[in-house]
Amino acid sequence: MTTEINLKEKKEETKEKPDKTLKEAPASRSDDSTVIEFKNVIKEYPGKVRAVDNVSFKIDLGEFISLVGPSGAGKSTLIRLLTCEEAPTSGQVLVAGRDISKLKQKEVPFYRRKVGVIFQDFKLLPKKTVYENIAFALEVADASNEEIKDKVPKIIEIVGLTSRTKAFSEELSGGEKQRVSIARALVHRPKLLIADEPTGNLDPVATWEIIELLFKINKQGTIVLLATHDKEVVDALEKRVITMRQGKIVSDQVKGKYIL
Amino acid sequence: MLITTLYRISKTSLVSFWRNRWLSLAATLIMILTLITISFFMSLLVITGKTTESLKEKVDMSVYFNESTSNDQVFAIQNLLLSRSDIKKVDYVSKEKALALWRERNKDNEKIRDVISSTDNPLPRSLEIKTQNPEDLEKINTLLSNDDYHPLIKDISYRKNKDLINRLVNITDFIKIIGWTLSLVFVLIAILIIYNTIRLTIFARSEEIAIMKLVGGSDWYVRGPFIIEGIGYGLLGALSSSVIYYFFFRFSVPVAEKYLGLSDLNSSYLGINFWAVVGLQILLGLALGVLCSMTAIRKHLK
Repeated sequence: MTTEINLKEKKEETKEKPDKTLKEAPASRSDDSTVIEFKNVIKEYPGKVRAVDNVSFKIDLGEFISLVGPSGAGKSTLIRLLTCEEAPTSGQVLVAGRDISKLKQKEVPFYRRKVGVIFQDFKLLPKKTVYENIAFALEVADASNEEIKDKVPKIIEIVGLTSRTKAFSEELSGGEKQRVSIARALVHRPKLLIADEPTGNLDPVATWEIIELLFKINKQGTIVLLATHDKEVVDALEKRVITMRQGKIVSDQVKGKYIL
Repeated sequence: MLITTLYRISKTSLVSFWRNRWLSLAATLIMILTLITISFFMSLLVITGKTTESLKEKVDMSVYFNESTSNDQVFAIQNLLLSRSDIKKVDYVSKEKALALWRERNKDNEKIRDVISSTDNPLPRSLEIKTQNPEDLEKINTLLSNDDYHPLIKDISYRKNKDLINRLVNITDFIKIIGWTLSLVFVLIAILIIYNTIRLTIFARSEEIAIMKLVGGSDWYVRGPFIIEGIGYGLLGALSSSVIYYFFFRFSVPVAEKYLGLSDLNSSYLGINFWAVVGLQILLGLALGVLCSMTAIRKHLK
């Protein structure tokens, strides 16, 4: 019971913030502000399984999008197409006007630094501390030691984990882990943050804290693409909802609800 | 910048080398075994080659003349031989010289030495012939065996040496075949084991690699630690096998020398060629290690 009340309170709090972005996002739906565009994208896996079947949609600057649908609807494939882990069988995935399936292997890491991703299972390194986990993302991207020392504490502060800086990630709660993973995703200042079921393993309080954090990030200009099963979250968001089923987009609502 | 990256990569690979130390040990051992096999067979080839060469040097033909043959006839044959292009040297051994040689050869055994004296000297005069190639001796033999010269000549001796040389050439060929086959087998085993060791390390660190790629780690950062691991196996293997090789030859060369009657083995082999062997081992070790790690990591990059 208490958690539900808590949830509603949080909802109240956050409602104001997203409203602005909500209004301007769908309104300014011209080609100029289009950042991501799927053009007749088909992804077939061996055995003629169509995970993504002729999907077309656009994402504009500053949008917050929920991607919903039952398991196997093609959400994860869509995300993998967007992170350049998969190439479409046909069609184009345009990011800032560029077909990302045509990126050279050398360019892929640089593209990925512009796209932050967080997952249901956090994907943190358990033997590393909060600080080290975030620093790791900078290290592998050839950042200098000074840059790491400068950026990491700032990003830890943004996700509200300053007091846990030196804790090992295996000692953290689920919500804290997801914050670390968000911090790591944000450390390269990405234009797009993809959240693949980020609240799937979290209790309602932690869930709402994470959603709130995603809102905060979205408000600062990062596109957030949230793939989720959580009906309550989606309904409360009152944001654009893309619903997928069997690889197809069955509805794309500007101020959507979770429909099954 | 580059140094920072290199430092991070090296650190990662050292940690992984230590965490999988049994695997690393196996990979290093097989590397040592491979390099040792290859260097031993190459050394054996050099030694047998050298032995053959030195035996070829020693090969000559002695033509012994009948007592009835005049000195002029002997000198005529000597001049005839000297005019040929395939002849290197023709030395005349007079009865006196033959006696001196006899005495020198049997200086430790007075009884045998004194069987022959200058007054009663049955030792024949002879021509000692050296050809450019040992094969040419056959031609000289045919030449001297025809009817013009045959009556003058008591005996021609060269056959024994020829058989010995042929046998040595055969042994060298045999060692070559065995050496190449064994080396190839060991190289293949080494490739398999090192390749799989690195694959297991990759597997053990697959989570880390996935995260690296997720957060946009550069290809070299992902690849680097494994290549350094491969280089590590190569260097460690080459160094260890060089040490083993050095001590083995330190003790076996004097023995080999004694049996083969070669005096230049020690200096030429351990003095000059030892570093060449070390260099070769390092090159081969590095090539093997890097090749394996590059192949193993390739499909994990996409």
